[in-house]
Amino acid sequence: MLSRTAENLYWLARYVERAEYLARTIDATLRVTALPAAYIGKTNEWDSALLTAGVAASFYEQYKEANETNVVEYLSFSADNPSSIRNCIESARLNSRSVRTALTSEMWDTINSAWIELQEVWSKGTSTREDLAKFLRFVQETSLRFDGSAYRTMLRNDAYWFSRMGVHLERADNTARILDVKYHVLLPEEEHVGGPLDFYQWSSILRSVSALTAYHWVYRETLKPWLIADLLILNDTLPRSLASCYGNLVRNLDQIGVAYGRQGPAQRHARGIRNRLEHSNMNDIFQHGVHEFIQEFITDNSRLGEIITKQYLI
Amino acid sequence: MRLRIHHTTTYRYEPQATSVIQILRMTPCSHDGQYVAEWQIDVSNDTKLDTHEDAFGNVTHVLSCGPVGNIKITAEGLIETHDTGGVLRGADERFPAGMFLRTTDLTAVNPAMTAVARQLRAESESDTLGFLHTLMSQISDHMTFDEDPTNSGTSAAEAFTLKRGVCQDYAHIFIACARSGDVPARFVSGHFLRSDGTVHQDAGHAWAEAYVDGLGWVGFDPANSICATDAHVRVAIGLDYLGAAPVRGTRYGGGAETLTVAVRVEQAGRGGQSQSQSQRQS
Repeated sequence: MLSRTAENLYWLARYVERAEYLARTIDATLRVTALPAAYIGKTNEWDSALLTAGVAASFYEQYKEANETNVVEYLSFSADNPSSIRNCIESARLNSRSVRTALTSEMWDTINSAWIELQEVWSKGTSTREDLAKFLRFVQETSLRFDGSAYRTMLRNDAYWFSRMGVHLERADNTARILDVKYHVLLPEEEHVGGPLDFYQWSSILRSVSALTAYHWVYRETLKPWLIADLLILNDTLPRSLASCYGNLVRNLDQIGVAYGRQGPAQRHARGIRNRLEHSNMNDIFQHGVHEFIQEFITDNSRLGEIITKQYLI
Repeated sequence: MRLRIHHTTTYRYEPQATSVIQILRMTPCSHDGQYVAEWQIDVSNDTKLDTHEDAFGNVTHVLSCGPVGNIKITAEGLIETHDTGGVLRGADERFPAGMFLRTTDLTAVNPAMTAVARQLRAESESDTLGFLHTLMSQISDHMTFDEDPTNSGTSAAEAFTLKRGVCQDYAHIFIACARSGDVPARFVSGHFLRSDGTVHQDAGHAWAEAYVDGLGWVGFDPANSICATDAHVRVAIGLDYLGAAPVRGTRYGGGAETLTVAVRVEQAGRGGQSQSQSQRQS
């Protein structure tokens, strides 16, 4: 396979995953901000949303205040924000157009019709909350259709593995970012069990990775911060946890390595991260600092992105 | 190196055993020098097979069944290994290294071994790694590989006196001497790709790991007189053989028991290169 093709497949999957994540973040933030201020504390949730998306600096160059209108506009529709949902879908379509024949028609259909809908229905943004909810739903469903059609129709060869790698790398990055911005509400010393503030913050974290129900299945307990961290970092049965993303990344890289008869730094680096996750427990992580752990993970994860790019995509 | 491992253990009970319980330590874990690409355990009978972890972090399966005349346990899989110069990194370490100074019945020293250890330790002064390397080659010189005189219950001291034994005895002697030289050491069971091309083996392999300050755990294989390489697949660790044995168990009823082990370790064939191109579009 041409490395250019691999690159397009990889980025296509990353952009779709990122668009869905942004939609989820906006959705979860809307829910929290709909509550009375006494419940959610003094933090500006829209500011956190910008931080988890990693676009706070560029946002403040353009806007003064992080409020619902501005942030939703910037994260969803802004042409100036390179990772707004609109730009993600545009980039996804550009990437899939250049590898049209490496995709199945179902995948192409999904991306192309999402792009058309974006032009025809959403070109002016959303004016009401109801509209916004519809838009966010549209984005999430696009991602579901894309994932589903890849899963159901693609040959299990390098094209599929590169595409999955994009999904899992982006997903790990997103989950880690949420944890990075919100880690302070997960720290045990800030705990006031049952306090409304924490409860809504915690459920919002879980909602942003669609893990609220999963939490109750796994722990059968009220929301506790260290269990939330455990679920999102170490539980490899949760598809958006760091451990699960890395289980999959390592497998995909191994499949590529076997198919090409050659292993490299990407395989080694990914295995190293997975080993660390596999051999960690929450006590140690809290003892050494959740923040440090997450920071290190984010660095390692983007380093893997660079290594993959160097080894396969250029 | 990609290794395909196929490890079968067959028990035959005559007459049938009423019930059998066994703990299997047959499942390798990943560390920086080893990645488990595929692994599965298959048992010939309908049994209960529960997965646990023991205190050292070994993956264990508890098998219980009965009444039964024959049990065949097959562990097989694919492992990708890298040579790390014998140094172990990225493994699940649950205890401080000092705990592995603890001696056991199988790894107790006799005066002759203490003398060897003390002399080598004195010669190497503060160079722990040097001490361990000389110890490994001394054991390798002292011993002759021989499957007949020893069994799985032979202690380090007995094997040292006999000057004969198998890899397990070599490892026990190494561990006993290292510990008496104040170096934490532990037993490793696993598999080894033989360099002479022999694929079929009658047993798994065993070696030792010793703790060197500043370096961490280092694998020493006294039976081959080398440090652990990418030909070694690490499955379980323990204070001695009993803690890391592939199968340990007990049975109720039954008469004579026959045990057969067959291990196949070979380098896995590479898959064909697949290539697909797509037309450029702009």
